[in-house]
Amino acid sequence: MTVTAPLLEVEDLHVRLRTPRGTASVVNGLSYTVGAGETVAVVGESGSGKSVSVLALLGLLPAGVATVTGRALLDGEDLLAMPADRLRQLRGPGVGMVFQDPMTSLNPVLTVGRQLVEGIRAHVDVPKAVARRRAVELLGEVGLPGPEKAVDRYPHELSGGMRQRVMIAIALSNSPALLIADEATTALDVTVQAQIIDLVQRLQADHGTGVVWITHDLGVVAGIADRVLVMYGGRCVEDGTVDDVLERPAHPYTRGLLGALPDLAVARADGGLPDLATVPGTPPAPTDLPAGCVFWPRCPVRADPRCETEQPPLAHVRGQSRDFGPSLAHRAATWCAEDGGAPGTTEEDR
Amino acid sequence: MTTPADPGPGRTVPSTQPAPQTVTDRPPGAGSDTAAGTLRPARPRWRETLGLLARNPTALIAALVVLGMIVVALLDEQLAPEGPNEIDVGARLQPPSPDHPFGTDDLGRDVFSRVILGAAVSLRVGLIAVSISLVVGTLIGLLAGFYGKWVDDVLMRLMDMLFAFPAVLLAISIVAILGPGLTNTTIAIGIVYIPIFARVTRSSVLGVREEVYVRAARSVGSSDVRLLARHVLPNAAPPIIVQTSVSLAFAVLSEAALSFLGLGTQPPDPSWGLMLSEGRGYIELAWWIAVFPGLAIFLLVLSFNLLGDGLRDVLDPRQRTAMSGGRQ
Amino acid sequence: MLIGVSIIVFALIQFVPGDPVRLALGTRFSQETYDALLERSGLDQPVLQQYFTWSGRALTGDLGVSFRSGEPVTALILERLPATLTLALAAILVALLIAVPLGTLSALRPRSLVDRGATVLSQIGISVPDFWMGIVFILVFAGTLGWLPSGGYVPLTEDPWGWLQRLIMPAIVTGVVSGSVITRFVRSSVLEALGQDHVRTAQAKGLPARQVLSWHVLRNALLPLVTVTGVQLAYLLSGVVVVEIVFAWPGLGQLALQAVQARDYPVLQGAVLLFALVFLLVNLVVDLLYSRLDPRIARR
Repeated sequence: MTVTAPLLEVEDLHVRLRTPRGTASVVNGLSYTVGAGETVAVVGESGSGKSVSVLALLGLLPAGVATVTGRALLDGEDLLAMPADRLRQLRGPGVGMVFQDPMTSLNPVLTVGRQLVEGIRAHVDVPKAVARRRAVELLGEVGLPGPEKAVDRYPHELSGGMRQRVMIAIALSNSPALLIADEATTALDVTVQAQIIDLVQRLQADHGTGVVWITHDLGVVAGIADRVLVMYGGRCVEDGTVDDVLERPAHPYTRGLLGALPDLAVARADGGLPDLATVPGTPPAPTDLPAGCVFWPRCPVRADPRCETEQPPLAHVRGQSRDFGPSLAHRAATWCAEDGGAPGTTEEDR
Repeated sequence: MTTPADPGPGRTVPSTQPAPQTVTDRPPGAGSDTAAGTLRPARPRWRETLGLLARNPTALIAALVVLGMIVVALLDEQLAPEGPNEIDVGARLQPPSPDHPFGTDDLGRDVFSRVILGAAVSLRVGLIAVSISLVVGTLIGLLAGFYGKWVDDVLMRLMDMLFAFPAVLLAISIVAILGPGLTNTTIAIGIVYIPIFARVTRSSVLGVREEVYVRAARSVGSSDVRLLARHVLPNAAPPIIVQTSVSLAFAVLSEAALSFLGLGTQPPDPSWGLMLSEGRGYIELAWWIAVFPGLAIFLLVLSFNLLGDGLRDVLDPRQRTAMSGGRQ
Repeated sequence: MLIGVSIIVFALIQFVPGDPVRLALGTRFSQETYDALLERSGLDQPVLQQYFTWSGRALTGDLGVSFRSGEPVTALILERLPATLTLALAAILVALLIAVPLGTLSALRPRSLVDRGATVLSQIGISVPDFWMGIVFILVFAGTLGWLPSGGYVPLTEDPWGWLQRLIMPAIVTGVVSGSVITRFVRSSVLEALGQDHVRTAQAKGLPARQVLSWHVLRNALLPLVTVTGVQLAYLLSGVVVVEIVFAWPGLGQLALQAVQARDYPVLQGAVLLFALVFLLVNLVVDLLYSRLDPRIARR
């Protein structure tokens, strides 16, 4: 990770959606960077705005409903400001995307090969036969057995894991600089999940792709990420290297997730990392966000009077304020980081 | 040909969804209660339903038009300025004027009066015919859906056969056997719309049949009749109610069509369809004879259809897209 | 299915109160004519035997003879069939030409002016009596404007232009009704397809918008349309019967009505049977077509 301009630089991203119950502020001032070859995990409960935040980057939100503001520089070009046609050109070669549900994310009435070929030919002017040969290669690369035959199969003839491999092949078919995986392994069983993660890591190593991995599974985060960004209520509440965030969590929410606050969460019986659903209560409605800290309604700490009234800024975690540069900094948006954020505290508490 | 998903030629149901969607269709009232674990069936809440309907301006206007037509039909003699068959040869083929708002026909009869009196005919035929199909069709659908197996097979196959004939042609054939006239037309239309009600009821019952409260009632030994009447039918009712409104539209349309063909109402009685066919010969001389009764048919049919749509939105939101229409 | 339909058609004549032959012949006829007709129609035999004789003959294409003219029913029907099929096909074409673009447009811009307009139009189309619309059309286009002949039929082979001129109005009148129903279906179907995950995948691949629409939205949304069109045919054929009479279109519907008026039961039976056959046949074709088009069914 050399200090060059990052591959993706998201700055102050806001997404508002028009809903029947009023305007929902789904993403509120999100900023982060992803370097080439780096994996950033975005974690959060469902409804935290993590999927919307990446769909917004590629203009995949319904046009009449969503308002997106902010900047998102991919190799210096602002995805949010460019004309629709340029954005279309970047979908694929610039950013490849893998979606959550492999059962519904492939078109059921077209063969796997066709869906790969049309993606390739949308960006490179090659004859069908050439694109097809490339499709077979790609299917082999993602580990589909018998790619020459699989290319003529329909999605329903493949298992869930195989379909997700096809999705990855589609996402990689134009050698994207950035790969976004939106809950890409959530619908799969554990062994398949591990295979898919292996696959992405291998491909990433081969091609130097930057990866944004969206998940609510902290186990996956520990296995794959260089850096972690914790989202809550449409905001980034904590980010930093995977070691910092998972071992020295500063925000009460993150600590709750990791079992560092005993009255908030229960560590998994098998000793593994818990799912995000373990914090009691539900996230705030995006139509009606609290005035102060977004986590305040569910927070058991509330150690500062400003918690209820004033939004905490995303600041460097005290006690680790050595400057590692932006990509290694550990930051959290909370008024209550002091006692929990220091290294070692959590170890003693256990 | 035993499952709803069977793509056999006779089973292509008028529900526009190709998937075996019938099994999952449930009236909205049923879902929430069972999810909460209650065993009580949810009854259609009339007050709430009417309230919701009143907030839908289109449906409200449609309901008012239907009501208005009913009032007109009930008051017919008082409202009509002239008797339906008052012949005034001196005033033949008069264009619309203050004296004759809709003009006069080839015998000098007042078209406005005849249109008003025709409302009673249309509504009476529509209501009686739909009552026939509603009662018979719902009963068949109830039995087929509730008992399944061979009962379902036999009954629904019979319905499929009836469905293979174009409705108007079937009605014509029935009238041909029974002989022309208003009563026979009503019976014919009633028979033609039985399969639609049978299908709608059956698919609705299939959704309700396995609900917790039905199984609970069954387990405490409720008799089948009690089970059907108290638990199954009330919860399967919303789609049937919607279908009733839509069918009224088509029954009115069918009566007009049959009368137009000379098989329904016989002259000199005023019926919109008959007036259309009488006015047809004078269409270039006196357009008003055919146009006004046509508008009346259109207005009544449109109102029943819009009312049906409004009811569908309120009672059966999941069915919104899978409109069957049932234009026959 | 076919057997059931044939039984219903056969039963028609059995329910006629009184003696159908006597009814058909009216008051003035000789005993010989009566006996000959009775024997030819087989109505003097036991019911079960009648059915087997009738259906056996029907299978070989013999539907008996007309009570009126004595002509074979099959010949009468075959003479009328092309006109009816022409009208039905033209009407389906009109219906689809209305429904697919209008339904797609309203789904792409829900709640827009186009959408609201299409909703109103389709509601009107469903509610308007087709025979009345036919009369109004004749009044406007044949009478006032004088653009088109008011009715009749000439074979395509004799006068293609005249054929088309006479086909336009009945086809539009018949097609508008089904078109309105199908418009609503297309709208909801496209709307549903638009929200599907695989459409997002296609967009994320960077496909041009037109390709996303044609291959990923429409291709999927219009698959069930095949089935719906088949079902709509039942309604459409109903419309054909009435419209044929309004426009003096010499098809099976007109034949059936004339048969009813003349109490010519064998002809009525034949016409009714044929309508049912057309319906069943088309739905069979639709099922085959659907399984060809949808790989999920084809390989099952």
